[in-house]
Amino acid sequence: MFPLFATAVAEVLIISLIVGAGLPALFAAGMRAYAYGEGGTATVGGGSRHLLGKVVGVACFALVILVIALGLAVIVSSGFGYHVAFDGMWPTFAKKH
Amino acid sequence: MSLELLLLILVIVTAIAFDFTNGFHDTANAMATSIATGALTPKVAVTLSAILNLIGAFLSVEVALTVTNAVIRIQDASGAPRPEFLADHGHTLLLIVFCGLVGGILWNLLTWLLGLPSSSSHALFGGLIGSTLAALGFGGVNWLGAGAKIDGVLGKVILPAFASPAVAALVATVGTWLVFRITTNVAAKHRETGFRWGQIGTASLISLAHGTNDAQKTMGVITLALIAYGVWTDTTQVPLWVKVACAAAIAAGTYSGGWRIIRTLGKGLVEISSPQGFAAEASSAAVILVSSHMGFALSTTHVATGSILGSGLGKRDAEVRWGVAARMVMAWFTTLPAAALVGALCYWLGSGIGGYPGVLIVLALLLALTGVIIRQSMKAPVHADNVNAAWSEGAVPGPDAGATIGNGATLGNGVDAANATVSPDASAPATLDA
Repeated sequence: MFPLFATAVAEVLIISLIVGAGLPALFAAGMRAYAYGEGGTATVGGGSRHLLGKVVGVACFALVILVIALGLAVIVSSGFGYHVAFDGMWPTFAKKH
Repeated sequence: MSLELLLLILVIVTAIAFDFTNGFHDTANAMATSIATGALTPKVAVTLSAILNLIGAFLSVEVALTVTNAVIRIQDASGAPRPEFLADHGHTLLLIVFCGLVGGILWNLLTWLLGLPSSSSHALFGGLIGSTLAALGFGGVNWLGAGAKIDGVLGKVILPAFASPAVAALVATVGTWLVFRITTNVAAKHRETGFRWGQIGTASLISLAHGTNDAQKTMGVITLALIAYGVWTDTTQVPLWVKVACAAAIAAGTYSGGWRIIRTLGKGLVEISSPQGFAAEASSAAVILVSSHMGFALSTTHVATGSILGSGLGKRDAEVRWGVAARMVMAWFTTLPAAALVGALCYWLGSGIGGYPGVLIVLALLLALTGVIIRQSMKAPVHADNVNAAWSEGAVPGPDAGATIGNGATLGNGVDAANATVSPDASAPATLDA
């Protein structure tokens, strides 16, 4: 059982690192871009307004919301006996056996 | 009333009571950091978490009837009680489950009194293991499982208890480090408010996941008792009233707050800011969802505690109170044996004295100890108004702390008053020198 357990933990760790540390990083990147876009007192150094920064920032936030929605989908579907798979780009839902 | 009917009623009532303690023990896992950083006011946080737990409990149509199979051998693979338990309206099985629940409840209450986040599932499993040992001996417990999959006390309880805090702490450390690294040139105020939104989103996910996972366990236990007694036969469905009662109990428990544990997790372990809070919540949500998605459920409590610790490790000058962390780890390792001891003692009492007196004495013991613990907790209450008071030695703020917080007044709690100004609004962060 020990090797089995170690494999499971390693898998959880790797996926959690990508999602669980990546999500805050993405959010932080969005915030940084948005603050750069806003300029003025939003950044430490000050600066002028940049439209591109705001666009990138909003895109990052949208991606964060998408990932949270995906988390929601996983919870809800497993509650109803479905399993979400991430084989391609899009999640697919299949009845558990 | 027959003895077995009395036992059945007691199992149902104590299971619902356990579900309630499960709720208030675990509010902190989702909401402690949001309350500590001021992303949500304490009342709003527990209300949101309670509603999401309620929704979560109703969301699951799957039946967690085989929940006890991980640690003890009283059910077959379909979830039905083993045939040897069915002869006398499930007398032995009902007594095992009743005593196990008593062990779980008492341990949950004691750790709550001490403000220690300990795993509710470990408390339940511990109680059941103890009462089963007393009733059926060593062979009644599923120590190692079959070996071909992760199962048994070792695989489902002991190994995850070591692994999950470490995994969560690592993820949160990396997340926190990245967050501060990336946002170094964002103005502090901007950063503080921005991350609060992220925190609320991830904390909500954890609450919802908690409702779907934990309420199911109690539903499974009650349904098992109904089948053993002989008033329910369907192993693929939970009676509606059981579902409603369990969902309501876990939501009510969550709403009641378990402020002592929220305080330890939010204020005691690490002085937390909202970027750290967000990193911790994101780590918890990811680890809980990924592991349960892989069919390998980890204790929410261990994950949340590990994440909060990690959020302290990932920030360069953050203060981590290792004394508090050590107390928590002690509580984790004692949860299973302590609840097991109570479960076993109750079973010996209940079956040794026998009949109605035996059962009623176990009930009396539960009520008396619950009363003592609640009386003790009243001596130094922690509630929505003083949950964020400055941390000094011990988990509980002084008796007059609640009255003075909220005006930004100083606290006289063994803390140097000049150094401990507490403001209810985290946008004016509290200065803490305690």
